[in-house]
Amino acid sequence: MNTKKLLSKTTRDFLILAAVILTICAPIFYFVSQWLFIYETEEVLVQHKNAFINQSSRNFTPEDIKTWNRYNLHFTIMPDMGVKKDSIVGTMIEDSTAEEKEPFRIIYAPVEIAGRKYTYTEKIHLLEMERMVFTIAGMFTFILLVLFIGIVWLSKKTASKRWKPFYNTLDQIHEFEIDKSKPPHFIQSGIDEFERLNRSLEALIEKNTAIYKSQREFVENAAHELQTPLALFQNKIDTLFQMRLDKDQTRVLGALSRDVAKLNRLNKNLLLLSKIEHEIYLEKTCISVNEHIEKHLDFFTEQAGQKWVAINVQLSEKLEIEANPVLAEILINNLVLNAIRHNRTEGNIIIRTLDRELMVLNTGTAEPLPIEKLFGRFFSGGTSANGSGLGLAIIKKITEISGWKISYSYYNDFHCFSVKF
Amino acid sequence: MKILIIEDEQDIAQSIQSYFKDNGVKCETAHNYAQAVHKIDNYDYDCILLDLSLPDGNGFDILRELRSKDKTDGVIIISAKETLETRLEGFSLGADDYLTKPFHLAELLVRMQALVRRRNFRGSNSVVFQEIRIEVFTKTVLVNEQKIELTRKELNLLLFLIGNNDKVLSKAAIAEHLSGDMADMLDSHDFIYAHIKNLKKKLSKAGSGDYIKTVYGEGYKWEK
Repeated sequence: MNTKKLLSKTTRDFLILAAVILTICAPIFYFVSQWLFIYETEEVLVQHKNAFINQSSRNFTPEDIKTWNRYNLHFTIMPDMGVKKDSIVGTMIEDSTAEEKEPFRIIYAPVEIAGRKYTYTEKIHLLEMERMVFTIAGMFTFILLVLFIGIVWLSKKTASKRWKPFYNTLDQIHEFEIDKSKPPHFIQSGIDEFERLNRSLEALIEKNTAIYKSQREFVENAAHELQTPLALFQNKIDTLFQMRLDKDQTRVLGALSRDVAKLNRLNKNLLLLSKIEHEIYLEKTCISVNEHIEKHLDFFTEQAGQKWVAINVQLSEKLEIEANPVLAEILINNLVLNAIRHNRTEGNIIIRTLDRELMVLNTGTAEPLPIEKLFGRFFSGGTSANGSGLGLAIIKKITEISGWKISYSYYNDFHCFSVKF
Repeated sequence: MKILIIEDEQDIAQSIQSYFKDNGVKCETAHNYAQAVHKIDNYDYDCILLDLSLPDGNGFDILRELRSKDKTDGVIIISAKETLETRLEGFSLGADDYLTKPFHLAELLVRMQALVRRRNFRGSNSVVFQEIRIEVFTKTVLVNEQKIELTRKELNLLLFLIGNNDKVLSKAAIAEHLSGDMADMLDSHDFIYAHIKNLKKKLSKAGSGDYIKTVYGEGYKWEK
């Protein structure tokens, strides 16, 4: 899913809201201010007319009207135009001072001067209004810009500062692993919600760690406690073998001996797993993977020989890793023995080392393994009933605590396990 | 040969005792710390098998006790504890070998024999069975004074078989002995068949008797 940061998301929402409000408001604002201006102009027109009627018109003679009209450009008394009552209209008139038509507001009103009917007209140029509307639009744009910049700045600066504890918490949870003993330490934020989040997380982690610990201890203790009865069992079988047994009895005992060996192996592997989790294997030295493979190749070949499996070794010039020697050895041996265990009779194994990578490829079942279950405990590939089911879990654990990466793929009939160091 | 088994689990001590008896090893047992210290003070043993967890004390204290009394008995620790620290502490306190439970009695027997051989080493460290002589130190095998070439594993196998003379060895015991640290990862013990076959062939070619018997396909026995 395409995810965005919370901050950019809120900022974006703010900006969209601001833009929408402003685009809706701008025309409304324009029309309202235009209406207001026209309304004011009409008020002025009506006032002028009333003043004329009340003061000037009483003493006016027809001679005066001519003189008046000569000197007043916008303010004329015309012979009766048939206007019965006051009316105000807006028109475009060619102005003498300008080249083009300009908007005007004109009032027509009936007046009586010296007993005769006339029509009073006054026109007001609306040029002032245009200028005012432009000024307002300019102001508007300016406010808009300031607001936009303000919002962005606010979310970038102040909001990111305020959200800092949240991101800190987020990073720490991301880093946290339950099998590493260090619990995360959250910083104080002074914000109620964040404090509550941190407290809840701390409680959650504490509880889970406790459960995990007791589980691990249980496995370890159980495996440990099994050692002595297993030893007794084993010794009794060894003792029984010495008695004069017939063929059938020996067969049963042989099967029992294999079972106890399997039980023993399972127990040892469980102990190993819980020991790896204890992180007692911290010492690291430089290990040559190639040398290790060459050293144990005899053993691998011997084991593979039981199933007529051929091992093909393709080593790079050198592959040296920083690792705990015990764990590295267990990892490599487990990988190879796994490849033998789950192979078919007369199958093939390729052990390949690259620059920073070890690959073990083997033939086996003709379909890819379910990757999500593969590294779990007690996963069984189905080709061998003898595996402890812990081999890959141990491999996974070792790669995890050593900071390596294990991956599985199926290609050309080969199951490929690859460890990137 | 006389050894002391210090082990609180009486059943285990009993098994070791009865297994070792036929191979000329006289075993005495101690089931707690007090008994063990008493026996160590009064007798000398060729080897001591020491369990680390005792009801009234710690196996390490017995090692300290031995050291303080300048006793030089060989010690093999047999313990259910399997950590590097206990191993290292055991060795630093003078133990000679460390075997983790559960173990095969056959394995314990050859380890003990090897330890005693090493300690009684006077010029030669050799194992002799009829016409076969193994010079452990130089890793050479002679049949009727004629040297034969064995692989490391075959030599190991031969020592294991001769050490457990007249005992039936399960395939598991042999396989685990031969693969050492890798034993925990094995899931088939059939690979020993090839080694047994090769060893048999090489021995008979050199004119040795056929001492390796199979026991109904479930185990092997070295028998005169």
